[in-house]
Amino acid sequence: MAASAPRATIISLQGVSRTYRLGSVEVAALVDVSLDVADGEFVAIVGPSGSGKTTMMNILGCLDRPTSGRYLFDSVPVAGLNDDQLALVRSRSIGFVFQNYSLLPRTSAIDNVAAPLLYQGVPAAERRRRAQAALERVGLADRIHHQPSELSGGQQQRVGIARAIVTEPRMVLADEPTGNLDSHVGAEVMALLRELNASGRTVVLITHEEAVADAADRKISLHDGRVAA
Amino acid sequence: MNLRELVRLSLQRLGASPLRSALTMLGVIIGVASVVAVVSIGQGTGRRITTSIGSLGTNLLTINAGRSFSGLARGAAGSATTLTLADATAVAALADIETVAPSISSQQLVASGIQNETVSVLGTTPDYLAVHADEVWQGSFLTPPTQDLALRVAVIGSTTATNLKLGPSNLGQSITIGGLPFRLIGILQPKGGLGATDDVVIVPLSTLQHRISSSASLSTISVSMADGADSTVTSNLITALLRVRHHLAATATADFSVTTQAQLLSVASTVSNTLTLLLVGIGSISLVVGGIGIMNIMLVSVRERTREIGIRKAIGARRRDVLAQFLVEAVVLSLLGGILGIAIGALASLVIGQIAGWGFVFSLPIVAIALVFSALVGIVFGVWPARQAAVLDPIVALRYE
Repeated sequence: MAASAPRATIISLQGVSRTYRLGSVEVAALVDVSLDVADGEFVAIVGPSGSGKTTMMNILGCLDRPTSGRYLFDSVPVAGLNDDQLALVRSRSIGFVFQNYSLLPRTSAIDNVAAPLLYQGVPAAERRRRAQAALERVGLADRIHHQPSELSGGQQQRVGIARAIVTEPRMVLADEPTGNLDSHVGAEVMALLRELNASGRTVVLITHEEAVADAADRKISLHDGRVAA
Repeated sequence: MNLRELVRLSLQRLGASPLRSALTMLGVIIGVASVVAVVSIGQGTGRRITTSIGSLGTNLLTINAGRSFSGLARGAAGSATTLTLADATAVAALADIETVAPSISSQQLVASGIQNETVSVLGTTPDYLAVHADEVWQGSFLTPPTQDLALRVAVIGSTTATNLKLGPSNLGQSITIGGLPFRLIGILQPKGGLGATDDVVIVPLSTLQHRISSSASLSTISVSMADGADSTVTSNLITALLRVRHHLAATATADFSVTTQAQLLSVASTVSNTLTLLLVGIGSISLVVGGIGIMNIMLVSVRERTREIGIRKAIGARRRDVLAQFLVEAVVLSLLGGILGIAIGALASLVIGQIAGWGFVFSLPIVAIALVFSALVGIVFGVWPARQAAVLDPIVALRYE
């Protein structure tokens, strides 16, 4: 634990492994990973391609379940949840930022940002209000009716960040958020993530670039599916 | 996610590719339109049959000689030769009977100048006009003296008049029936309706019996009941009377048959209903084919939108949210198709009604049924694609290109 003051643990992996079956061959993507992330931390998970980063992100984001080991998210054992219960955890507690932005095509920025609220059953007027506030927060107040195809890469990623924070999640999970952006725009995106973290939100960044990872409070290196010392 | 949101989302989605949506709906549109049009045509024909049977005389009962009567087919008139004038007189004496018109029909060659045709020549009494609710257009009908004196006079139907090129100016002229000259004294109003009711030549019964066909037995006795008389009761009464007069044992089949208008109506409406049902069946097949079209497009759509499904799942959509989204989209497609189909079907019924002359027949129940059915088509054929979307693994879906 890197935190100086005792803080609640939001992520706790205990001996987590994830193996895939490819035909008759078993491939181990994660091997016996144990780590804790405290509430409000900014953690970067770094590793070259093939190190198990994507698998890590899927498990941390409750998109996938470990083959063995325990994963407590906010003290809830996630491995035992079914698909719809996992969807509920994602809906309430996790905001995703993707490398390729993953915005809904032919959908305006504000509707994209409001989409997660749709699945929380938030009424239309409040959805609009909150989506607008989130877009203002990422500096896109003047682009709310633009479709993704009308926005630059950096702007699309900011829409993606607005979508990740619109539900006020406990944790933002960013998978190579700067991977498709030039360094200048990438720095802006990183600054936004830092700002989110400064306001008390846990941010987990997954990247293969050491330079990007340096922006985080703590680096966790992955190698061949194991946490390097 | 509530239904309104889902419908809004679907409409937005379908509006994004209007041509594809329209083509997808086409099957349902055609199916619903044809069902609506066919039902309206069926009802129009039914209405026309009812009015034309009504025009035969609402209180009309018909006694035919002969054994069999099934559906509209009966043994040839006169195949039994047991109805007599005395029977007609006896029937006339029953309660609730207003008028009786005995008749004999005989196929004869009728000629006027160089025009000729073979027509059913009916020998009957002056009461025939009242019993059948016929009207004379020009000239006069048979009168008691023509009957008593067995005069060679003839009244012709409107179709016969047209066929023989006879008009009001030909009244009083001579026409040839079965080789004998007859004086034309009247032309009837057209009745329209089923069968060749307007292609007829009417002569006095006595004349027919004495001059053309020597038969003494009647082919038909037409009976008009008093107003308010029960046709079933009267029909039973006549049957009982004639069975006694014909000395029939209790188990013997009657050598005559009594037909009421109600029976004719029910036979006719059975025929028209069967036809309608058949055509509705054909229309329904098109509806099912339309449903398969929707399923096909929805399956393609699920594949194309795999990434979108992955994103939606990542940001918190549960299985049922994705299922509902695609199901509602299919139902919106088929319902829109249904509504368009109803509009087109209504338009078609309007045009056909105008041409056929029964006006605009359009029933609200069929609209409701059509809507329910198109919604059902959407549900039935949308469930499978929607399920395919709902069970997608978000990890796989997110990485799908």
